[in-house]
Amino acid sequence: MSTYTTAGAQQQQQQQSSMAHDASSSTDERARFVEYSCGDCDAPVSLKRGEPIRCRSCGHRVLYKKRTHRMVQFEAR
Amino acid sequence: MRVPSQAELQERKRVQIGIETTSNAQSTDFPGHWPGENHEWNLDYIKENLNVKFHTSTPFDSEFSLIGIDTSVANAFRRILLAEIPTLAIETVFIYQNTSVMQDEVLAHRLGLIPLQASRRGLNWMKWYQKPTEEDEGSGAPSDYNCAILRLNVKCEWQEGGLQRAARGETDPDKLYVNHSIYARDLQWQAIGKQAEMFADGPIQAVNPDILIMKLRPGQEIELLMHAMKGIGQDHAKFSPVATASYRLLPTIDIMKPIIGADAKKFARCFPKGVIRLDSVTSEEASELDCKENEVKAVVANPMRDTVSRECLRHAEFKDKVKLGRVRDHFIFRIESTGQWESEDLFLESVKLLKVKCQRMRRGLDAMMN
Repeated sequence: MSTYTTAGAQQQQQQQSSMAHDASSSTDERARFVEYSCGDCDAPVSLKRGEPIRCRSCGHRVLYKKRTHRMVQFEAR
Repeated sequence: MRVPSQAELQERKRVQIGIETTSNAQSTDFPGHWPGENHEWNLDYIKENLNVKFHTSTPFDSEFSLIGIDTSVANAFRRILLAEIPTLAIETVFIYQNTSVMQDEVLAHRLGLIPLQASRRGLNWMKWYQKPTEEDEGSGAPSDYNCAILRLNVKCEWQEGGLQRAARGETDPDKLYVNHSIYARDLQWQAIGKQAEMFADGPIQAVNPDILIMKLRPGQEIELLMHAMKGIGQDHAKFSPVATASYRLLPTIDIMKPIIGADAKKFARCFPKGVIRLDSVTSEEASELDCKENEVKAVVANPMRDTVSRECLRHAEFKDKVKLGRVRDHFIFRIESTGQWESEDLFLESVKLLKVKCQRMRRGLDAMMN
């Protein structure tokens, strides 16, 4: 499964880095939630830093980041 | 001093139209062209000869004849109508969220082109918006007297039971989603400062509430804020108050020799409907025209409806019997308003603006002389 390898590779990387720094806590308590949507079932997923990249309802490992609320200005011309 | 006859004057302002040519297109009623004649600019002469006649007049579409002025002045009115009468239009768009399939730039451009309408009093009260410049810091700040704020916040969602209906094969978006289409009526104007008072008799809104701006599907969301400014068509076509403002010259059809019988029917078919009328020949005319009584004869009924296609000149039998032309000082104006102004007021406004420009010119000349 090609989708699995991309998400899995990321997870592996994360696991390695977290092991190197601090093996006891993989999730950061102070980190903010970031909204994603599942690539398979379209359910909203909110993740913190260090959490496994995985949909809570269907287990799919591809998540899409949503557009942020940042304002962009355009000329109507 | 020589005074030309009425017939000669008529002939002078007739543009002649041949099969492949137009001639006598230039006006000659200026000083020094005709020896011994006086063609000086004369206000009394113009007052006597100027004539305005309305043909159709609805709020957003009017057609009228402007008779007895030079092309330069008529064209000035047309150009002022297109490019110099102010209206409101959306000028900047601040997009906070757009998860639809339409790109931000495209959406902003579409919003800019929506014709807006508002109270005329408010529009007159509003000032021009100046863009900020680098030299003058703090310039170009939008304020209540030069900027109107509009908002658009829409989120599309599934209707109750919509998912199940979709699974069963329902495809009608009205039965599946809420807010699946954004129309111009969804723009919400937010009055700031003195605007509530100045626009009391006409809020800022889209002229045509049913303009479809974009479509959404469940989960997609639009959240944006718009600034509408007052501007003129010279700057951008979205500010132009007219859909079209154009004129054409009154066509003329002169039947030189009588066209009778089957020829007359063919002749009438060379023109749009209503231009040529078929009359039956009376007994007195019959002997004169050398034909039978009650035969049909072609008569010009309404040359204004002619398109001057010159079709009749292509047929050998009509070639020497008809003369086509146009009247050089008879302008048939057609003004279609986009909705901010009534089409009649638009013309009056263009006259007012030309007057203001002339006065400015005169002040400038006075200042130069003194």
